[in-house]
Amino acid sequence: MAKEKNKKNKSGLFSRLFGNRNKISVTEEEKIQSPGRMVLGNFVRNPLGMTGLIVFIIIFIVVMVGPYFMPLDLSYQDNTQTNVPPTLGMMSYPKNTQGTLIDIAPGTTYAAGVTDEGRVYIWGHTKISDKIDLADIPEEVSEAFIVKIAAGYDHIVALDDKGKIYVWGNNRLGQDVLPSELQSAIASGKNLGIIQIEAGYQFSSALTEDGQVYVWGNQNMCDVKVKSDIKGRVKKIALTTYNYIALLDDGTVSYGGFQKNAISEIPETLGNNIVDIVATGNTCAAVDSDGKITVWGNVTHGENNIPEMNSKPVKLYGGLYHYTALLENGEIVSWGDNIHGQAEVPASVNKEPNTQVFSGFYQNYAVNADGEINTWGLKGYLCGTDNLGRDIFTRIINGGKVTMTVGAVSVIIALIIGVVLGGVAGYFGGWVDMLVMRASEIIGGLPFLPFALILSAVIGTAISVEQRMYLIMVVLGVLSWPGTCRLIRAQILSQREQEFVTAAKAMGVKERSIVFRHILPNVLSLILVTATLDFATCMLTESSLSYLGFGISPPTPTWGNMLTGANNSIVIQQYWWRWIFPAAVFGVCTICINLVGDALRDAFDPKSAER
Amino acid sequence: MKKYVLKRILYMVFVLVIVSFLMYCLYNLIPNDPARAELEGIKKTLKPEQYEVMYQQLRDEMGLDDPILVRYGRWIGVLPEKRTGEFNGILQGNMGYSSFFKVDVTEVIPSRMVNTIFINVFVTILALAITIPLGIVCAVRKRGKFDNIVQVFTIIGYSIPIYIIALLFIWLFGVTLRWFPVMGIKTPGSNYTGLRAFLDQLYYLALPILVMTFASLGGMTRYVRTAMIDVLGMDYIRTARAKGLREKVVVYSHAWRNALLPVITVIIGWFLSIFSGSVIVENTFGLNGMGNLYIIGLNNHDYELVLAVQMFYTVISLVGALIMDLSYGLVDPRVRVDK
Repeated sequence: MAKEKNKKNKSGLFSRLFGNRNKISVTEEEKIQSPGRMVLGNFVRNPLGMTGLIVFIIIFIVVMVGPYFMPLDLSYQDNTQTNVPPTLGMMSYPKNTQGTLIDIAPGTTYAAGVTDEGRVYIWGHTKISDKIDLADIPEEVSEAFIVKIAAGYDHIVALDDKGKIYVWGNNRLGQDVLPSELQSAIASGKNLGIIQIEAGYQFSSALTEDGQVYVWGNQNMCDVKVKSDIKGRVKKIALTTYNYIALLDDGTVSYGGFQKNAISEIPETLGNNIVDIVATGNTCAAVDSDGKITVWGNVTHGENNIPEMNSKPVKLYGGLYHYTALLENGEIVSWGDNIHGQAEVPASVNKEPNTQVFSGFYQNYAVNADGEINTWGLKGYLCGTDNLGRDIFTRIINGGKVTMTVGAVSVIIALIIGVVLGGVAGYFGGWVDMLVMRASEIIGGLPFLPFALILSAVIGTAISVEQRMYLIMVVLGVLSWPGTCRLIRAQILSQREQEFVTAAKAMGVKERSIVFRHILPNVLSLILVTATLDFATCMLTESSLSYLGFGISPPTPTWGNMLTGANNSIVIQQYWWRWIFPAAVFGVCTICINLVGDALRDAFDPKSAER
Repeated sequence: MKKYVLKRILYMVFVLVIVSFLMYCLYNLIPNDPARAELEGIKKTLKPEQYEVMYQQLRDEMGLDDPILVRYGRWIGVLPEKRTGEFNGILQGNMGYSSFFKVDVTEVIPSRMVNTIFINVFVTILALAITIPLGIVCAVRKRGKFDNIVQVFTIIGYSIPIYIIALLFIWLFGVTLRWFPVMGIKTPGSNYTGLRAFLDQLYYLALPILVMTFASLGGMTRYVRTAMIDVLGMDYIRTARAKGLREKVVVYSHAWRNALLPVITVIIGWFLSIFSGSVIVENTFGLNGMGNLYIIGLNNHDYELVLAVQMFYTVISLVGALIMDLSYGLVDPRVRVDK
């Protein structure tokens, strides 16, 4: 009984949502409605069509408004973030480590932490390639008592309490080939007293308490040498992506290697009272005992826009393109690139004084006086990233706008040409018909693909991305009318033989009037269905063109060219997020348009509603 | 009627000439210099002035500076070549030289055409065999449970682009279930003959055939159903039923023949779209068909090849249009096409 009632309620809700024809008894008479109202009523009463319309409108609004909130930088790519699967948990450290983490090393898409019991935890997206997974912690590391950890681009370095260094992850480029001195010390069990370990792009570095620096790794990419004049004098090291700098015991800063570059040109204003140095990917920063921060190097993301600070900065931390500073009063200030929110310190973090900060790549972890860890920065990607490290969600939203605009404009062009020419040809016949049909045959004979290609080869690079988009719209519209034209003509060919046309002719109705007032309303349902279906078709054609590489060319995203690279079994299987999400959104969108087209057809044609 | 067909064929030739001329003009817009290409090999052995003289001479010999109509006439084969004085154009069977394959275009096309036709014949038979009965049954039982389910599937099938269907099918049948091979055209190293070879080829082409069939199901079923529903609502169907005719006769004889008019338009248009539709599928599966050849030509700027394939497509589409127009009269005697 209760179940039945429940069911009734549900259907009541359903009919209230989508409207339902009031049941009338035989004796009552239905109210007379204007045709427009009836069409609207019929349409609203169709649940499938309404669902399609609502979903389509939602997608439409999201892709039309979304780009203003998620602007797309066409030149953006990030090789540290390639092929990341959908996740939002890159910074969610294991809950059971709460309060016990003594060192955290944030990496590209992962982070590694060490607890006070010497155990290593790794979280986030840890797969570097098919074979290499950073979460596969070597057995000797799990057995050892780890005290320090450092994360590089694709490898992790750990230090245990006996001074032994472990490296795992990608070791194909010499990331795990320790310098001979370190190797022999480890082999003989001698503790060198290492106080700092760091990891850069494909190289790593260790610093001992007596000021010796050891650097090892990929020598082709990174400046892994140690200048003799800094040996034994180093207090602290800071690693950029490919180089490193050292803070010496006399309070000055020195470039560690031999290369000449933006990092090695240390500003002369730096003085000799430096207390801390730090590096981002391409810049370095130093803070002196007065709290003055100096930034040098290849500043690309506003790393030198140092904000006002309430208190003296005591320690600096660096991500890939941002800096974080811990002030004397325990507050945290951050500046630099903020694309993933890594330079935007949440207000809650500064409510209590912080004692320690761990920053790296796009992540920040702040430890406050209570031992709680607050995080901000790159959580992950809702739909993952593609092979160039671009966020797929942003590209779907921005690509949708392009795809929909192209589809809408071209279908309007095609429809206007198709209906006018089809109507004229079908009704008047004779030489008009012949002319139109030959024209449609010529246009139909001109294939789309080479046409688009020739235009792009001839006009080619001379036109901008936007102009190329208009070109595709016009080409699509001008080439796709023959189908509509033929369909309308075929319909009118049979309509003009019908009795009501003969009657209209007999009554002396003008030709133009017969075509547009008598015949056209009869094919209106067909026109509308064709228009909606053609909208979907035009979107499909554009996306197919882009998929083949002849439409709108990357980096401008469309739902078609986002799938271009997905055409091999590796991507299909392993990087499923790269094609499933664009394909699903596109599929849902076209399905909705077609549902609306169907519902419109039913609504416009009272005969079909009665059937 | 004969006179009409003859007239239409004459028109067709006329249209073909215009289309081919347009195509030829378009391809001539592409920067391309065969004279320079021919001299490239001996360029280093010549002095600059010598080279320039030879180049101009060759250009003149090849007739590259003649008006476009003259060059078009040579390409078609109604005007003699300037160098040899012979007629050597499309009409003489010279489709051009493929700069990518380094052979005549006429040698490249046949084997690929066989592949495309092999696939398309299966797709067409399968698709028609499924869609027409399905569309009729749906129209007869409209708004029933079966119809609703089929409607939802056809809308999905119709809406999703063919390359997404291909990706899904590769993922499902090729990668996950491993039922069908994803790439290739026959078992590597096999040397089957007769039926065995045929079945082997069919096994390797199963995935593209399935994809193309599936992709064409939605649209066709919908059209057949729509046309049938329109006709079933007509008065003469009621009359036929009132006469006491069996439902089968009403549906298949009275209704179906009348529903055929809009369907014919679509079927023929759809026959043709299989040729161009296979561009995407052949490209995705790496099949050696016409569509793939076309993309290879476009990507490698092998324009003589593209032009030839293009002419083939144009002829197909024109013949299709002719058949379409003639078929109106055949299926619907009320339409007098030759009026």
